[in-house]
Amino acid sequence: MGHFKSLLVALAVCAAGGLTNPLAAAPTSYPLTLDNCEAKVTFQKAPQRAIGLGQNSAEIMLLLGLQDRMAGTAFWPSKVLPQLAEANAKVKLLTVEFPTFESMLAERPDFVAAALPTLLGPSSKVAKREDFERVGVPSYLSPSTCLETKGSKDAYGSRAQLWNTEALYQEIDELSRIFDVADRGQALIADFKAREAALRASVTPGDKKLSYVFWFSSPSPSADAYLGGKNGASGFIADLLGGRNAIGAEAEWPTLGWEGIIAAKPDVIVIASLDRNRWELDKPEAKIKFLTTDPAVSQLDAVRNKAIVVMDGQAMNPTVRTLYGAEQVAQQLKALGLLK
Amino acid sequence: MNPENGALEGRAVFAGLMLASLVAIGLAIGLSTGIGDLPIPLGTTFTAITNRLGWTSTEIDRVYETVIWDYRLSRALVAAFCGAGLALSGAIMQSLLRNPLAEPYVLGISAGASTGAVAIIILGLGGGVLSLSGGAFLGAFAAFCFVALLSNGTRGGADRTILAGVAASQLFNATTSYIVTTSGNAQQARDVMFWLLGSFGGVRWPEFMLVSVVVSIGLVACLCYARTLDTFAFGDETAASLGVNVDRARIVLFALTAMMTATIVSMVGSIGFVGLIVPHTARALVGPLHIRLLPACILIGAVFMVLADVASRALIPQQVLPIGVVTALVGVPFFSIILYRLQRAA
Repeated sequence: MGHFKSLLVALAVCAAGGLTNPLAAAPTSYPLTLDNCEAKVTFQKAPQRAIGLGQNSAEIMLLLGLQDRMAGTAFWPSKVLPQLAEANAKVKLLTVEFPTFESMLAERPDFVAAALPTLLGPSSKVAKREDFERVGVPSYLSPSTCLETKGSKDAYGSRAQLWNTEALYQEIDELSRIFDVADRGQALIADFKAREAALRASVTPGDKKLSYVFWFSSPSPSADAYLGGKNGASGFIADLLGGRNAIGAEAEWPTLGWEGIIAAKPDVIVIASLDRNRWELDKPEAKIKFLTTDPAVSQLDAVRNKAIVVMDGQAMNPTVRTLYGAEQVAQQLKALGLLK
Repeated sequence: MNPENGALEGRAVFAGLMLASLVAIGLAIGLSTGIGDLPIPLGTTFTAITNRLGWTSTEIDRVYETVIWDYRLSRALVAAFCGAGLALSGAIMQSLLRNPLAEPYVLGISAGASTGAVAIIILGLGGGVLSLSGGAFLGAFAAFCFVALLSNGTRGGADRTILAGVAASQLFNATTSYIVTTSGNAQQARDVMFWLLGSFGGVRWPEFMLVSVVVSIGLVACLCYARTLDTFAFGDETAASLGVNVDRARIVLFALTAMMTATIVSMVGSIGFVGLIVPHTARALVGPLHIRLLPACILIGAVFMVLADVASRALIPQQVLPIGVVTALVGVPFFSIILYRLQRAA
């Protein structure tokens, strides 16, 4: 919270300073000590050979333009954000799966930033923080994921409250200070905030509150569908666009049969486009075909009104991708005339 | 050939086999310590170990020293003890239940451990005080108690115990599935799967301390019961008529295997097949007498597990392959050869 407040103050000061140099942030003075997920981490200098352990951590580093200071990345559930593909190609990919501790050490890292406690934590089979400490490598764990674990029902953040971008911005801020690129961090946060604000502004107050169903995938048309839960990233997107998630389950990824989805009467169906190819219905075309041809589901108002939009599936995980996903949805809804 | 000569010869073969296995364990652990994603020269490997043992104090790369000592060596030793413990538990189960298909997880221990682990990972039970391993251990223990109750203490007999074990496995697997589905998250399900398949990736020296003590206690205690286990082969009544306190022996031995299996499962996940095939292999090599069978199981189990772990790290570089996949993939062909040869010998 402290970081967030100081960040707000910094932004306010920047704004007051006018637009000529809105993002001058102080250079980091080393040693820099941070409180990170109930551990204290000290940095003697800016990392030059960082490992992005987990897609979100790697993508934040790439968004900060740190590709020349990254020694490797691992654990990618989906493809890299298209605009980062070129930068990402310069960084060694260890594996898209769980990497081994040794394969990371082999890159001689001087910093490791991890996205999930399963990748770096006391119960992780990949590495514990002490493992890196022992070889003098400072580590950082995404505050979004460790904060969830602390206060909520499960390690994946089955949330009692709606997810928001606060912890994400804290992560961007802290990573940018670790690398001594605080100005880039502030610029990125400011950019995200502006885009968040623009999305919030795209709804006319007094308009009907749209209800959304976010369909991730299903093993088969007859099987229960994996949906985005009320308080996860999907719920955040719905809220950002002035609507609500038609699914009331607090679980991060509830599963529901189509009868339940029909009963929820969504105005909009958001279908995920996935890079993986596990099930036929991972493909958005297959999803659309099912929605429009199934005798019962095709009678849904959302389907009859063609209020079906495609979104990057990774946006349904609470990551930097969530905002990009919200923009995708907003753009398509504007074209459909459902948002202004 | 007079019988005494035969016994003498058998003893020599057994001693030779034990010696060969000990050498094999040494070599396997050496191999496991020398191989990894990070290419480390052999000399440095030795220096790292002698440095940490306090025999030398040569300056070497800190990363190398940590990888060799804290990562590879502890892992190889834990693998050896887990292999030994699982093989030993399997042999005890097969004898106690007089069933060649019995294995360490027959009492539902692995299913119980999974439920415990999932309850920690997904439901967050224990409020962070209880670790994943702690939850798995409690789950395994719960399964064991369930089976003990259902099979009417120890008086139920072998068949009833197996049935109770099957029921426990079903119950706990269903509970696991229920927890995973109701909070179904693709990532979560994947992590749980990864955990369940087993890996030595998370083990360090503290795990070694625990598993070495538990398995050593188990081995010594089981060896004390070697004669008793031999009598179980003829049925409970025969054993009782030979002066064995059947109920007490059964509960002690079940408890010992439960303790070993629960410790191992909670540490490295459930690793299949070792507890099933190693006892059969050992029996084919040294015969059914437990005073020989149990040490042979320990040694063969240890060698097999260390080599399987080496394979799991070498097959896909830079990525963690669940060890259970390797034990089954390597174990089945190996076991087929043994079955085939046994058939021919018969």
